[in-house]
Amino acid sequence: MTLTSESVDTSAQAALDSPWVTIVWNDPVNLMSYVAWVFRSYFGFDREEAEIRMLRVHNDGRAVVATGSREEMERHVEAMHDFGLWATLTKADA
Amino acid sequence: MRAFEPAGDGAVSALFEPVEAALLAQLASQVAGLLAEQRGGAAADLAILRLLPDAYPDDPAASAEFRRFTADELTEKKLRNARILIADCAGAADADGPSTIRLDAASIGAWLRSLTDVRLVLATRLGITEDGGLRPDDDDEESLMLTDVYDWLGFVQDCLVSALED
Repeated sequence: MTLTSESVDTSAQAALDSPWVTIVWNDPVNLMSYVAWVFRSYFGFDREEAEIRMLRVHNDGRAVVATGSREEMERHVEAMHDFGLWATLTKADA
Repeated sequence: MRAFEPAGDGAVSALFEPVEAALLAQLASQVAGLLAEQRGGAAADLAILRLLPDAYPDDPAASAEFRRFTADELTEKKLRNARILIADCAGAADADGPSTIRLDAASIGAWLRSLTDVRLVLATRLGITEDGGLRPDDDDEESLMLTDVYDWLGFVQDCLVSALED
């Protein structure tokens, strides 16, 4: 099978759409109650989901809180910093 | 202080001693000063770096660009939150005895963020880098006092979050 120009374009497009993720990192300052509240309030997670993700941050050191385009993830990182959480973004497959 | 309680219409309120309200205002003011000073700069202060962290952990160029586009607005928001907290504390700080501070939705948002900013700055100064605490060699009086303040701020914030759960 040879690479047609169409299939090259498709893979380029796929690379551009490659999802990014927003990661929230554990920090020694923020209260677990506050982090869970931020997750509920900003991301709209329900109580249980917010608790799970907050505990993941706390126990694993980090948790993915969103996936999507790079721009969307940048907005989420900005929002997290507004709340005083420590967040970064990275390619999903990084 | 006595813990925050719902006060109707999405507001909360709590009783504060004058010294407590004054302390909150003073701390927020110090953080505001720090933020105002670094505007347009390169986040050289460790505390500022924690308030405005790098967005791309492995890409300094992308982080720098992100900072260029977002730091000013974030800084202004943080300054605004500090101003709101300071204004909310003014009456109670000057009162003769404990008085109620009532926070509407806007103030609640400002207080949560501003309390966090103050705690982040204090933690940087105290060298709190691990869950659970203080650098072992920091038992001088100032550090111990700052630690007490830091713990108290955590209590205040936790109370506020709890009041929002209802």
